[in-house]
Amino acid sequence: MSHKFQRNSPQMLGVASTVSSTTSNQPRKRVKRCCRNFVTFMCTQVGVGALIVVYAIFGALTFMHIEREFVDTTTAHVLELRQNFSQRLWNITEEHNLIDKPLWVNETNAVLREYQAEIAAIIKNGYVGRSPAEMWSFPAALMFCLSVITMIGYGNMVPRTPWGKGFTVIYATFGIPLYILYFLNMGRVLARSFKFMYRSLHDCTQERNYDARLEALENGVGSGSLGALTLRKKIIVPSTACLWVIIFYVLTGTIMFANWEKWSFLNSFYFCMTSLCKIGFGDFVPGASLTTSADVDAATQKLREDISADGNEVSELQRITDQHSKLAINFIYMLLGMGLVAMCRNLMREEVRVKVKEMKEDTKLCVEDTRLRFVGCCGDPRDLYENDYY
Amino acid sequence: MSSRRSSFRRREKPAFERFKDHCRHFTAFMFSNVGIILLVTFYTIGGAFVFQAIEIFENEKLKIIKPHRFIERNFSGDCLNRIWELTAENISFFDRHAYRKRYVNDVLLEYQRAVVKKQLRGPDVDHQWSFSGAFLYSLTVITTIGYGNITPTSDWGKLVTILYAIIGMPLFLLYLSNIGDVLAKSFKWIYSKVCLCRICPGVAKRRIIRERRKLRQLARALQMHQMENARGGSSSSYTSNSHSTSNSSNSSSSSDYTKSSLQTSSVLDVPYTDSDSDIEREIRGSTDEITVPLTVCVFVMVSYILSGAILFGRWEDWNYLDGSYFCFISLSSIGFGDLVPGDRVITADKDKVEVSFILCAVYLLLGMALIAMCFNLMQEQVIHNMRAIKRGFKACFRCRSS
Repeated sequence: MSHKFQRNSPQMLGVASTVSSTTSNQPRKRVKRCCRNFVTFMCTQVGVGALIVVYAIFGALTFMHIEREFVDTTTAHVLELRQNFSQRLWNITEEHNLIDKPLWVNETNAVLREYQAEIAAIIKNGYVGRSPAEMWSFPAALMFCLSVITMIGYGNMVPRTPWGKGFTVIYATFGIPLYILYFLNMGRVLARSFKFMYRSLHDCTQERNYDARLEALENGVGSGSLGALTLRKKIIVPSTACLWVIIFYVLTGTIMFANWEKWSFLNSFYFCMTSLCKIGFGDFVPGASLTTSADVDAATQKLREDISADGNEVSELQRITDQHSKLAINFIYMLLGMGLVAMCRNLMREEVRVKVKEMKEDTKLCVEDTRLRFVGCCGDPRDLYENDYY
Repeated sequence: MSSRRSSFRRREKPAFERFKDHCRHFTAFMFSNVGIILLVTFYTIGGAFVFQAIEIFENEKLKIIKPHRFIERNFSGDCLNRIWELTAENISFFDRHAYRKRYVNDVLLEYQRAVVKKQLRGPDVDHQWSFSGAFLYSLTVITTIGYGNITPTSDWGKLVTILYAIIGMPLFLLYLSNIGDVLAKSFKWIYSKVCLCRICPGVAKRRIIRERRKLRQLARALQMHQMENARGGSSSSYTSNSHSTSNSSNSSSSSDYTKSSLQTSSVLDVPYTDSDSDIEREIRGSTDEITVPLTVCVFVMVSYILSGAILFGRWEDWNYLDGSYFCFISLSSIGFGDLVPGDRVITADKDKVEVSFILCAVYLLLGMALIAMCFNLMQEQVIHNMRAIKRGFKACFRCRSS
C-alpha cells in the first residue's frame, strides 16, 4: 500500500508542477498558445477555404501563362489550307470554263471531300476553332483548376502543351489532398452547425413536452425523466432532413442554371447531379458554349453591313458569351455543394451506424426469441443428450 | 458407444442452426472480396445493356417522330451549289484574286464551321453505343471518372444515369474500401516477409537478439543514470531556494524514470526466458505493427502509372507523356476525356468485344484499388510518424521545463 502511494505521489506533484508552471513561465506559454491558435485557425474551414481559393487562383494564373505560350500552328495551317483549296477551285474553273457543268461539279466535289478529310484530321488533333488566348481567359482557367482539384474534370478545356500536361499532374498531386482536407473539414463544421440548428428547432417544437418533463422532475418522478433527458441529448438528425437539404440545393442550382444557360430543366438537373457526384461528363458546361467572341464579331460586322440583319441575334450572342462573372458564382456553388455533400455524408454515416447497431441488437433478440420458442416447442436435444451422457 | 453418440449429435445439429450458418456464410461471401468484385462487374455489365437499350430505342423513336432531324444535311452539296451559282453569276467580270479572296473563302469558311460542329458532336448514336462503349460509359459513371466522350442524349438516358450513379457510387466505394483493405494487408505481409527478410528465420532471430542486446545495454545505462539522478535530485531539493518548482519538476522527472525503470526491468527479465518459441511469437506478432514506408507506396503508384503509360502507348500510339498523363487523369478520377482509349472501342463492331477495352477496364478497376491500398498504408504511416513527432515534441518541452 505504501509502495503504491510512493508511486502515486510524484505524479500528483507533477500535476501540481504543470499548474504552477502556467503562472511561472508566461511568455513561452503565450507563444505556444499563439502557435496552437494559428494552427487550428489554418486547419479550420476558413483557413482551408482561403487556401483553396488562393491555390486555385495561383493555378489559374500559371495555366494561363503556360497555355497562352502555346504557338497554335493549326490555325495558320487551316488558313493556308483554305487558301490552297480556293486556289484549286479557281484552277478548275479556269480549266473547264463553266461549259461542262457535270465535269466541273465532279472535280469540285472531289476537292471539297479532300478538304473535309483534312479538316476532320485537324479536329481530331484538338482544333476547336479558337486561339489559346481566347480560350484561356482568367475565369475559364479558374474553372479548369477547380475541375482538376475537385476531380470533376469536365474536359471542355484541356492543356495541350507538354508543360501544361506535366503541370496538371503536379497540380493535381498537391491539390487533391488539399481539397480532401477542405472536404472533411467543411463536412465536419457544417454537420456540427446543422445538428445544432436541428436540435434547437427540435427543442423549440418540443418545448411543452420539456416543461412537462421538468414538472415531472419537480414532482419527484426521478428516474424516468432523467432517462428522457439523456435521450434528448442523443438526438440524431434523420437522414431525410439531409436528403431534403441536398434536394433543395440541387433544385436551386437547377433553376439557376436553367435560367442562365437556357437549358431545359432536365438538362440542368442532370448537370447539377453529375457535377456534385464528381462525374463531370462535360457535355453541359456553364459558360462554355460553342459561340465565341469571333462569332459575335462576325455578327456585328454583318449588322453593320446589312441593315436588314437581326439585331437581337448580336445581343443574344453577346449575352451568352459574356458570362465570365457568372463563372465565379458557379465556382462558389460547386465548392459549397461539395461541402454540403460532405456534411450529409457525415450525418448519414452517424445515423447509419446507430441504425446498424440497433438492427443488430434487434436481430439478435429476434434470433434468441425464435430459438427459445423452437426449444420450447421441440425440446432441446442438446440438453437431452447432455443429461443422457451423465 | 460414446463415439457413435457424438457423431449422431453432429448429424442432428438443429435445422435452424444449420440454416443460420448457411445464411452467415452466404452473407460473408457476398460481402467478401469475390462477391463484391462480381457485384461490381455484373452491375456494370447490366448498366451497359440498359444504357445501350435505352439510347438506341429512344433514338429509333425519335427517328420516327421527327424524321426531319435525321436527314443528313448535305453540307458539301450545299457548298458545291453555292460555289456554282457564284461562279456562274460573276464569271464575266471578276479577276481571280477577288474571286478567291472574297467569295470562295467565305463559302469555305462556312463549310469548315459546319464540319467542325458536326465533328465535335461525335459519331452517330448507333456507332457510339456499341456494347464496349456502353460498358466503358457505365464504368466511368460509377467510378466518377466521367470521360464524357459518350454521353446520353435522350431524357430517359439522363434520368437513368442519375439513378445509376446514386446506387452505383456507394457500391464502388464499398468495393474500393474492401479491396483496398485486403490489398493493404497482403502487401504488408509480403513486405514484411520479403523486404525485411522475415521469411528466413535466422535473420529475424539474429535481428531480434541484436535489438534485445541493445535494449539491455540501454536499460542498464538508464538505471545508472536514474540512480545518479535520484541522488542529485534529492540533494538539489534540499538546497534549492524556489522550493516548490524545482521539487515538483524533479519529482515529475523522477516519476518518468520510475516508469522507465519498470519497463527496463521487464526488459531485463525477458532474456532469461529467451527461447525459440518466444522469438517466433514475437516475429509473428510484430507483422501487424510494421508500417510500410511512404517511399515504397509512392514507388508502387508511380510504377503502376508508368506501366500503364507503356501499355497504352503501345495500343493507342500515344507517346509516353500522353500515356502517363492519361493514366494519372483516369486514376485520380478527374477524367478530362481528351485522350480516351476508345477510338478503337467506339468504332468497333456493335457486338464484338475488344480485348484491349477489357484490359482497360481491368486496369482502371485494379488501379483504383491499388491507389486506395496505397492511401491506406500511407495514412497508417503518417499517423505513426505524427505520433512519434508529438512524442518528440512533448519530450522536448519537458526537457526544457525541467
